[in-house]
Amino acid sequence: MITDNRSRRGVSDKLYKGFIYVVLIALAVIILIPVLWAFMASVKQDSEFYGNPWALPLGIHLQNFADAWLKAKMGSFMLNSVLVTAIALGLLLIVALPASYVLSRFKFRGNAFLNMMFMAGLFINVNYIVVPIFLMLNNGDKALRGILGHPVLLNNLFVLAVVYAAMSLPFTIYLMSGYFKSLPKEFEEAASVDGAGNFRTMVQIIMPMAKPSIVTVILFNFLSYWNEYIISMTLLTKPTFKTLPVGLMNLMAAQKSAVQYGQMYAGLVLVMLPTLIIYILVQKKLTQGMTMGGLKG
Amino acid sequence: MGGYTDNKTFVGFQNFSKLFQSEKFYQTFQNSVLLIVIVTIVTFALALLFASMLTREKLKGQNFLRVVFYIPNILSVVVISAIFSAIFDPNSGLLNAFLKLFRGFQAEPILWLGDQKIVIFSLAGAMIWQAIGYYMVMYMASMANIPESLYESAGLEGAGRMTQFFQITIPLIWTNIRTTLTFFIISTINMSFLFVMTMTSGGPDGATEVFLSYMYKEAYTNSSYGYGMAIGVIVFLFSFALAGILNAVTRREHLEY
Amino acid sequence: MKKILSLAITAALTLSLAACGNSSENASGTTTNSSNNTKTNSTSTTETRTLKLAALETAYGADVWKEITAAFEKATPGVKVETTIDKNIEDVIGPGMKSGDFPDIIHLAVGQQKGLTETFVKDNNLTDLTDVLSMTVPGEDVTVKDKLIPGFTDTSITNPYNDGKTYLMPMFYSPTGLFFNEGLFEEKGWKVPETWDEMWALGDKAKAEGIALFAYPMPGYFDSFFYALLNEVGGADFFNKATSYTEGVWETPEAKQAFDLITKLTSTYTEKTVPANANKDNFTKNQQLILDNKALFMPNGTWVVGEMSKAPRAEGFKWGFTALPALKEGGDRYSYTFFEQIWVPAKAENADLAKQFIAYLYSDEAAAIFAKVGAVQPIKGMSEKLDGDNKLFYSIYDSGAKAAMGAFATTDPVEGVNISDTVFRSIDSLVTGAKSQEDWVNGIIKASDALRAAMK
Repeated sequence: MITDNRSRRGVSDKLYKGFIYVVLIALAVIILIPVLWAFMASVKQDSEFYGNPWALPLGIHLQNFADAWLKAKMGSFMLNSVLVTAIALGLLLIVALPASYVLSRFKFRGNAFLNMMFMAGLFINVNYIVVPIFLMLNNGDKALRGILGHPVLLNNLFVLAVVYAAMSLPFTIYLMSGYFKSLPKEFEEAASVDGAGNFRTMVQIIMPMAKPSIVTVILFNFLSYWNEYIISMTLLTKPTFKTLPVGLMNLMAAQKSAVQYGQMYAGLVLVMLPTLIIYILVQKKLTQGMTMGGLKG
Repeated sequence: MGGYTDNKTFVGFQNFSKLFQSEKFYQTFQNSVLLIVIVTIVTFALALLFASMLTREKLKGQNFLRVVFYIPNILSVVVISAIFSAIFDPNSGLLNAFLKLFRGFQAEPILWLGDQKIVIFSLAGAMIWQAIGYYMVMYMASMANIPESLYESAGLEGAGRMTQFFQITIPLIWTNIRTTLTFFIISTINMSFLFVMTMTSGGPDGATEVFLSYMYKEAYTNSSYGYGMAIGVIVFLFSFALAGILNAVTRREHLEY
Repeated sequence: MKKILSLAITAALTLSLAACGNSSENASGTTTNSSNNTKTNSTSTTETRTLKLAALETAYGADVWKEITAAFEKATPGVKVETTIDKNIEDVIGPGMKSGDFPDIIHLAVGQQKGLTETFVKDNNLTDLTDVLSMTVPGEDVTVKDKLIPGFTDTSITNPYNDGKTYLMPMFYSPTGLFFNEGLFEEKGWKVPETWDEMWALGDKAKAEGIALFAYPMPGYFDSFFYALLNEVGGADFFNKATSYTEGVWETPEAKQAFDLITKLTSTYTEKTVPANANKDNFTKNQQLILDNKALFMPNGTWVVGEMSKAPRAEGFKWGFTALPALKEGGDRYSYTFFEQIWVPAKAENADLAKQFIAYLYSDEAAAIFAKVGAVQPIKGMSEKLDGDNKLFYSIYDSGAKAAMGAFATTDPVEGVNISDTVFRSIDSLVTGAKSQEDWVNGIIKASDALRAAMK
């Protein structure tokens, strides 16, 4: 009887496993097809876009990429995007790591209030405060013009990076302090016995342990900075300062003008390629970071 | 004012009273809430299910699948919208071509983005597609922390997969689930705006107008800047209140492994 | 408690912005002398003056503006023109203008997605350009007014405040009407309908062959159609009454005739897939319906030829273009004239130089440069100098059609009410059946009532 039962269970196990494979592979296909389609579209000639969108390209039309890179200036926009993203990430880490460490580890007056403020920050949507941010910078510019003779806050990649870093502080602090809270206190105690100060403990003991979490934070924020376009569009008004997604929007603005689909999809691939590459490079750390990190709550 | 002049008048709460009498705002509110509900429930259920499949079962290509599932999350919404516009195309779209296999080749095409009764669900579909991987990875992360011994002992006691899922997995990642509920609200309000702007422009005839797209329209296109900001205030208060309510309703005793 | 406090702070911050509403008193068109412009400050030491031009990049391309400004610089020593030309010009110059950095001249028509031009009109934020009309065109001995085709500066678009003053100057114009595949008509032996009755008969014939009578790119394209139709049902008088929201105008028999006609056209004779693609990202798919012989007619402007130039098409395809059919045999037929506008913000620093530049745009020299790329200005005798498709399009008024011009009157902003959304965007709902004609008309009446009080 027992053996019979077990073998029946084995059959249903196999069926269940088969079912899982089917479901998971179906989801993978649903996700991959659209992405591959975008790559396919980027090598098509303009005339191919009016027909069946699922037809295979007639040839590899790499001219699209050259056009997007040079004519549509996606090349120089990419440089802007790289600069902004790098500066913003640097600033974010310098501010957010110590802040979340302190907020999660030390008891002091106003700690709870500060934590609360950062939590409330999670609810503030960038899209509805972008104009106030703009007006603020603009008023600053008006004042600075009187002192320095020229405006400095708008059309400044560094300022955009500062705004980006500030915007992602609540989420980053929320995520990192969750992780720091989960660390046992013994490490710090041991360090302080060895005579290390608070700062040294943080830099030499805690940060290396938090590496996977930090990688996760970097990836998350890299993605959001790289793909952001609403703030960038508002704060950088001069064409030379456009970031990549804004450049792509411009490529897509086909309204009542000559439509260049090939170039547009090439631009689209140029925007998503770096994110894909970086994601694939760090994806192992990502899961690891989330496993260890504060996200588990 | 459209924001290009310096003229400002203090109008007190007038903008709010106008807002509550506006049919368009109610339509917008309805669309947004519908999206929040659908996207949250479907994404939540699927992400949880897939996460549990990927962590609990030994599968070939597990790593590959995990990498693939997260891809939509790293793409720009501009990219996703372009892709989905092509999928939803009535005549040459992939979705209708696929459905023809079941509905017969003479069937009238379904207007995924043209039929007012369907379009909001099409939009939700694209949003779910985008969000599922993110939440899946989040749930997987906390599921991986559940000690295997718990499942083993449950298995010995004869608990099936379903029972294990509801009795062990869900309670032990409950804190994480609560956190993600807040994320769902915040990100659906934000993402629905980005999707609408690039996919439907709020159409057909306002059927996909959501909070922030309506706010933008009033503030910039209709020169009613104060009115637009009033919408912004309502959205902020609404999302904060909704998150607060969900947080209170889902409060349970914290379980340790 | 702390939670409430922090919430209150954030709310208060946002609220303080929300409470800033629309002003009812307007500083009408006053030119305040702002010192916000850095560029002029930095160049003021030298003798050259800088004129800042912002223009929407349309199908005519960006290069034509560079050519024009180069020619102007040559003709006017000591002036340098700095151009900003972009397909998203509203996004590019909008933020700068919010901070007080205004271009001197903006070439951007009403009816754009973001409605920047309308915003300036609504806010009384334009420089009066009436005196440009009496200026002599640089290098010639005629005034601007004498060169322009009559009628173009008497419209509610160019004179938005109904006070006889011109604030926006007419630029490239293009007749609009119904576009079709002439090749298909020849092949089938069909006659292009001249009355709406013939139109319906043709619609039934085409339906039998699996071709829809009608398609439209986006509901916004109904503006020209609707304006022309208003002229057909009640003449120019009725058109003016309707577009100025006169009380009861939408309940008249004339209005009913127009509404009935559009409802019949959209709910019965329109290709069903149209609303699915009727947005700014996919509208070319609706235009493709004509090229693929899936629909017979679409309302459009002459730019569509260039827009679809690379698209594949049915064999023997040839663009055809006609005015709206008449209501009855021998009745008036109208073609709405779409034209772009160029204008000067009230806070432009170099308004005088800007006016000079605008006058120059109507010179033969400038007109010839524009005509090279197919951009035609309303200058007398221009249409005779054209060739190819353009000759056919611009000769529509020679072959009996009357020109309709103007648009819904500009009002102070009314929160939550937008007339073109109400009239045109609802047409999608007529096609899908989500709204009945009654719902549609009632919506228009309600919006009209709200806007009447806010009329300029």
